[in-house]
Amino acid sequence: MAAKKEAGQAAPKQIREYDAETMQKIQTLAAALLEEINKGENLHIDIPVRGSSNVTFNEKTKKIELGDKFARRYLFNVAHARRFMQTLLVASYVKKDLLENNLTATLRDLYYAKKHTIPGTKEDTIDEQKESDLAIVDFEVALDTFRERLHLRAEPKGRIAGQMVVTDRVKDKVDTIDLSKMGSGGWAVPSIVEQVEFKEIDAEYVLVAEKNAIFDRLNEDAYWAKQKCLLMTTGGQAARGARRLLKRLSSELNLPIYCLTDADPYGWYIYSCMKYGSMALAHESDRLGSKDMKFLGMSISDIEHYDLRSVTIKAKDVDIKRAEEMKAYDWFKAPAWQREIDKFLDKKIKAEIQSLSSKNLQYISTTYLPEKIKSQDFLP
Amino acid sequence: MAEKDAKATASTQAAAKAEIAQAQDGQSHDYKEYSVAEFFKKNRQMLGYSGKVRSLTTIVHEYVTNSLDAAEEGGILPDINVEIENLADGHVRVSVEDNGIGIPKQFVGNALGKLLSGTKFHHRKQKRGQQGIGASYATLFSQITTGKPTRVKTSLGDYKVYECDITIDVKTNEPAVKNEREYSGKYRGLRIDAEFSEVTYNRSEYGVYEYLRRTAIANPHVQITLIEPNKEIVVFPRASKEIPKKAKETRPHPLGISTSDLMDIVQMSKARKISSMLQSDFTRVSADKVKELATLCPGIDLERSPKNLTWAEAEAIVKAFGQVKWIAPDMDSLILIGEKQIEMSLKNILQPEQMKVVCRKPRVFRGGIPFAVEAAIAYGGKSGSWVSTDEHGNPVETKGELLRFANRVPMLFDAGTCATTIAAKDVDWSRYNLKGWESLPVSIFINFVSVYVPYTGAGKLSISAEEEIVEEIRNALMECGRDIAKYLNALDRAKEQEHRRSIFFRYIVEVAECINDLTGTDKALLVAKLKKTAEEKTAILLAQGEEAEESLEEVGAIEDEETNGKDEE
Repeated sequence: MAAKKEAGQAAPKQIREYDAETMQKIQTLAAALLEEINKGENLHIDIPVRGSSNVTFNEKTKKIELGDKFARRYLFNVAHARRFMQTLLVASYVKKDLLENNLTATLRDLYYAKKHTIPGTKEDTIDEQKESDLAIVDFEVALDTFRERLHLRAEPKGRIAGQMVVTDRVKDKVDTIDLSKMGSGGWAVPSIVEQVEFKEIDAEYVLVAEKNAIFDRLNEDAYWAKQKCLLMTTGGQAARGARRLLKRLSSELNLPIYCLTDADPYGWYIYSCMKYGSMALAHESDRLGSKDMKFLGMSISDIEHYDLRSVTIKAKDVDIKRAEEMKAYDWFKAPAWQREIDKFLDKKIKAEIQSLSSKNLQYISTTYLPEKIKSQDFLP
Repeated sequence: MAEKDAKATASTQAAAKAEIAQAQDGQSHDYKEYSVAEFFKKNRQMLGYSGKVRSLTTIVHEYVTNSLDAAEEGGILPDINVEIENLADGHVRVSVEDNGIGIPKQFVGNALGKLLSGTKFHHRKQKRGQQGIGASYATLFSQITTGKPTRVKTSLGDYKVYECDITIDVKTNEPAVKNEREYSGKYRGLRIDAEFSEVTYNRSEYGVYEYLRRTAIANPHVQITLIEPNKEIVVFPRASKEIPKKAKETRPHPLGISTSDLMDIVQMSKARKISSMLQSDFTRVSADKVKELATLCPGIDLERSPKNLTWAEAEAIVKAFGQVKWIAPDMDSLILIGEKQIEMSLKNILQPEQMKVVCRKPRVFRGGIPFAVEAAIAYGGKSGSWVSTDEHGNPVETKGELLRFANRVPMLFDAGTCATTIAAKDVDWSRYNLKGWESLPVSIFINFVSVYVPYTGAGKLSISAEEEIVEEIRNALMECGRDIAKYLNALDRAKEQEHRRSIFFRYIVEVAECINDLTGTDKALLVAKLKKTAEEKTAILLAQGEEAEESLEEVGAIEDEETNGKDEE
């Protein structure tokens, strides 16, 4: 296991090089459109289809992958015209406002920058942010790139603490950050982590908890110091920055990653998104999926093993439905997971991680986690 | 309103029966002569004189109907002028003038001053009129409400013009002719001037304007000029110079005869006995059938003179008519307006964007009475009734209208129970893109043609909803609907294309700006080129005539990392 590593060996490509590459892709697309205009043809952009019809699970790479189906979106098609226009608004913003000025912006910034009333009409270019968000995804998949390369960032979410020193960069300013000295809150994981470099590290694994409350509990118990690990929370569904950071910790530092969620279908799904990628972001599974991640808990078996029956919650119909859907996903086909889901469907109960507090407040850091890790009692 | 009228009619009929029974008990045989004018004076609702608007429509209807018959009789293209004038004392003067054959001097009194005298003074044939009472009742109504006589001017076109004032002696039902004048002049036709009270003119769907408009629609060979009280002159111009085929002189068939029709026939008949009158004045009545009728009416001596037949007896005989199995009437007694004529007429009056006229083949109802349905649907233009108009008199807001006719005569009242209304309600209009036609610029035209129209009430303004009739009208409407639907669908497609075009153009400037941002190409140049392409694409799609586009594919929603997870605590 990796102890005291001089990190930073797989140094990220210079950001500027990526920008040049993205710029090149945008120019190619624009040139194709210009040619169509000159020829009097219908303008089109090919966009890989996202969603279950074009998503497969690759058993070998353990990744959710995007198929090769694509949809052709036209300007002169009543059903496509508006979205086509919106996709071009994204392209223009990314090129002119972001890449050329070396700035990053949030999805919401883009929404406000490009929202205006179309001259001579009562129609807005974009009504709700959801529309521009969808256009952004269209644009990234059309360019076969991802959001960070377009200088667009999501709201940052997720915190980390542990024996590690990293450097981060704000434009040309480089900061060195000691993750063991971040107090009660930990270091907030930025929305873009490409520029983060791992310097000194003294940890044997990463423990990622879905819940902020668990991070706070374990941080207070100095769990990461005692157990020599990096402690992280995603605060619910993991943001791209958090996912990318996990992926880099796993692939660049070879750290095992253990995941801690509630014992219910939503917890499992959060886990699976971090591990295999998601259907909506299937085009980024390579960058965002930590394929070696292990599911530490809570499992339905834990409920029996730790005698938590009395603090469980009755599963709702939506939970049952979700579990049934997930049982059918290729990436939940491992026998251990099928058994886990069956147990859930059979007992129709779920449990929160905090239910361990019914024993005592520190039960999780003193008993549950050490026991589970020691016995390597994980789900794949 | 219609319901109220029907009720009123029913109760007056009951009252009439009681009165007649009383008359029979105590009074002599001159009851008929005595009571007819008297009776109707008291029960004017039966004749359509209920309500101020309706009364005026009825008056005009009676005069105009006579005018149409008088022109038809002479093979003349009718020109009818109607003037309504509001007088200072609240009276309304009605003048109707036609260019028909006129009335011979010796008949004028009976034609306009005697009820149940056989108003069709020349011959018996298919009548347009409402009752055998017609214009004479208008004379009486004028007299009752204003105390004034009706002024008549007529000439047969023989350079002799005759004028007189007519009133009715209510006790004897005999005309009183006064102020006669005869002079030489070049004139042919009939002019009636009468004053009324308790009548109102307006342009509602029950008024004179609407009545004349519809009369013009069903009679394309007629030119009608209306001078309204505000001196506005409305001309419903002649659409066709083709004079309708003359009604064949057929004797009536016992089915479809009303009591007052029979009373009318009694007056005209030269037969000495009721039994011989039945055989000579009706078609399909044989000696055997008379015997059958005799058994059905044991209280009436059919061997006596028809002249003293009472109303109650006539009613009994009409009832018996309905119980006998008759040989069906002749098919070729049906006189249709004809597809071409209706088309010309609708074009003339409604100037629709699109119309479809259907003349169905004759069919029979009640096991043998022939009838035929002519129907049309007109869409757009001046179709429908106008809720409001702009300063040029063009429709701004319209609603759909059902134009009901029986033998070309407009039926303005009692729509609810009419076979036409029921049939129109029965059609699934959504199949013809006409769902909610009641609020569209649509005129639905239905003419029911038969020598024997099965009216539901004494008012003759509603056709009995016999199954065969409703079905036939429905089929006619659906046939029209199919054609109109094609037009409306094409219209929808054109609208759709326009919509498409507008969408393409809307986004062009935005797209050009983006491409200018990306490539630096001149924006104006991009806009010009894109517009040209958009025009071409729209034209191509229009030529293809249908949606040649696939819809936006279902895209999985963006995974919202920010909120998709469950929130804590």
